[in-house]
Amino acid sequence: MRLTYLMVLIVVILTSSQAKDSNNEVTFSDFTLYTGDSVEIASYTIQLVEVQSVRDGIVVIRATKSGGALDEQRALLQNNANSFDGGSENGGLTVTITDIFDDQSAKVRVEYPKDMGIPRKQTAESGSKGPGSQPVLAVEKSFDNDNPSVGSEVKVTVMVKNIGGGLAEDIVVDDQPPLANFVYIAGYPPKIKSQLDPGESDSAIYVIDAVKEGTVKVPPIEVRYSDSKKNTKSNESAPFNVVIAPKSMPDLDIKLNPSGSIPLGQAGRLNVSLYNSGKATAYKVEIKSEIEPSGGLDATDLDKSYFEIDPGAMESYSAELTGRSSGEYTVNLKVSYQDGNDVLLKEGSTTIVVLEREYKYLYYLLILPLLAVSAWLIKRYKEYKY
Amino acid sequence: MLNVLMLGVGQCGNRILDAINKEAFGGASRLSKYYSRQKFPSRVETIAINTAINDLKELRFTTAKDRLHVPNLHGVGANRNVGKQGFWDNREMIMEEIEKRGDFDVAFVMTSTSGGTGSSFSPLLIHELKERYKNISVIPIAVLPFREEGSIYLQNAAFSLRELMEVDAEGLILADNQYLKRCSGDIATAYDKINTMIAQRTLFLIESLDSEMLSVTDLGDFKTVMSGGLRMGTMGFSQADRKNPSVKSAIQNSLKPGSLLYPANVYDEAARAMVIIQGSREYLDVDEITKEIEKLCAGAGHVFKGLVIKKGYPKVLTLFTLASVPEIETLYAQAARAIHEEKDRKQRAKKQLSDAFAHIEDLEEIY
Ligand SMILES: Nc1nc2c(ncn2[C@@H]2O[C@H](COP(=O)(O)OP(=O)(O)OP(=O)(O)O)[C@@H](O)[C@H]2O)c(=O)[nH]1
Ligand SMILES: [Mg+2]
Repeated sequence: MRLTYLMVLIVVILTSSQAKDSNNEVTFSDFTLYTGDSVEIASYTIQLVEVQSVRDGIVVIRATKSGGALDEQRALLQNNANSFDGGSENGGLTVTITDIFDDQSAKVRVEYPKDMGIPRKQTAESGSKGPGSQPVLAVEKSFDNDNPSVGSEVKVTVMVKNIGGGLAEDIVVDDQPPLANFVYIAGYPPKIKSQLDPGESDSAIYVIDAVKEGTVKVPPIEVRYSDSKKNTKSNESAPFNVVIAPKSMPDLDIKLNPSGSIPLGQAGRLNVSLYNSGKATAYKVEIKSEIEPSGGLDATDLDKSYFEIDPGAMESYSAELTGRSSGEYTVNLKVSYQDGNDVLLKEGSTTIVVLEREYKYLYYLLILPLLAVSAWLIKRYKEYKY
Repeated sequence: MLNVLMLGVGQCGNRILDAINKEAFGGASRLSKYYSRQKFPSRVETIAINTAINDLKELRFTTAKDRLHVPNLHGVGANRNVGKQGFWDNREMIMEEIEKRGDFDVAFVMTSTSGGTGSSFSPLLIHELKERYKNISVIPIAVLPFREEGSIYLQNAAFSLRELMEVDAEGLILADNQYLKRCSGDIATAYDKINTMIAQRTLFLIESLDSEMLSVTDLGDFKTVMSGGLRMGTMGFSQADRKNPSVKSAIQNSLKPGSLLYPANVYDEAARAMVIIQGSREYLDVDEITKEIEKLCAGAGHVFKGLVIKKGYPKVLTLFTLASVPEIETLYAQAARAIHEEKDRKQRAKKQLSDAFAHIEDLEEIY
């Protein structure tokens, strides 16, 4: 997911620094901001609070809107688009840290609806702000996959950083109990150091499995701490939504296509095709045949196995059928395959008719009089043709 | 068994011959030739002779080998002189084609009197037949034109009828388009109807001549009838049905104007006659028949009577020669008038043209 974002961004940057996409009326501008610098657009102000970690690529941004409708401080991961006030698509802003130069400066991309006007950079008055002697903890919770499907594993990262100027003590993170759509596999609850020096950060990871499809609102994680004067403070991560897709399964469609009725004692063909219309690979595909009633219709090469069939892929083969005695036969094919855990079954069938022996003289009985009549007609026609 | 030759000459003759071939198939359907067999009462050979190949192509029930095209002539355009020349040029070929088919006792030559080919070929053809077959009886069946068909047709009819009478044939059977016109509205159906009437009567005649039963008429009787009166005659025909199976009315009906091929008052004008009656025994009441024949005898000189016992309602054919033919005389008068008028018209036109030329008689072109 992140990788795709990155690629899209690089492509966009390479082609132009000014997006020309006027369809959704969103455009963007890149700014190099020092700590305390801000970008103003319409009634929004985006301020670079601090570069929290050059190594981990975390930058703290504060977004405000005049009138107080928005005042939010968030730690942003580099190359991760963050929506404020609904994001640029919905009349708000989308902010991305595209580059971090050092622990004082970063490149910030602001995406905004075109009709908002032109964003302006405001340089911080020197010394006006800056880390004081108070500890400030930023906390962030993130999923490595915002779009998991049922059965897939998600790594949750909890990250706490002291972005203030003083030591933070008695640090406690309070993550919500397990969510109904997930089961927790390992690492829960996340453990974070109880003390963090200014600039210091700590993170923990735990693993959960998605078990039920649906949209899940991931609750914020709260961090509580106290400063040197034992003043208790707290901060919260931003909540976000995760959509759990239905479990991806292989689904094999089997089709039987006989070449037609088979004359007694002769051979016909049966074409079989398997199409994986599911979202996952089918493994260990085994086809077993059954012919009812047995004995009158012989089949060769009707049983078959495939190691795997990828989603959207089709495999087909052809078997030879030989009619031993006339009648109507049902050819049943049972397909078993696995999706990694479960064994799945599918069936397909067709009816093959083995014809009675044709008695040629019966045709002669019909054809001879016809021939005689035609010969007579032709003779007469010629006799009278002038 | 009689050996019968039937020749249809010219378009009219060809089409009557085709009608005879159709009747021999049973007459019912266009396709009968594909599923049925011809049932001729005797050994019958039919040949359609024409100078126009298209007329021959039009035929449906006459086999290809029975259609004889006289080459190098695409019809003679009603010009009998051209027709006669054409016959002489091809005489051997035509006669060879006929002689190939063996010996014949009787020949019917069917033709229109008014066209070019049939009317000019037929008298010459009859002459040739008489020369080459010792004992053959030849009876022309001659069709008179619609009177309004034009002066050339009228004049052709006049001259060819005389030639047919002068040639050594056994009389002449007349059919008159003008008289039969009332049969049907449009020309094509009228022709078909007239041809069918002639075909039915001719086949019936052959059948009765060839019958081996007692008290039937034979070829000798037929010739005697034909040589009576003016040696010109015609035929009447009638068929009884379930509603009225009486032989008496069948005989009477066969003599009514509507049943005849040429207008005649049989009781007054017949010279000799032949009455052929066919049907199941139970319908053939001898008393009634005798009575009817006696009635006819009162006017006609001699009446031959033939009885053919055959399952079915009575069918009666009367064949007779006439003692007077007022209709023919009218036709000749019309023809003469037409010839005169034609002559006058020609002279007038010629004079007009020479008068026109006279204007420049002494002049020369000046440039
Ligand atoms: N009854 C009857 N008369 C016919 C038929 N076709 C033509 N006619 C009459 O025959 C006369 C014309 O003679 P055709 O037999 O057509 O002439 P042709 O002998 O073929 O001579 P050319 O065409 O001049 O070479 C006219 O008086 C027509 O009315 C027919 O099918 N039935
Ligand atoms: Mg013609």
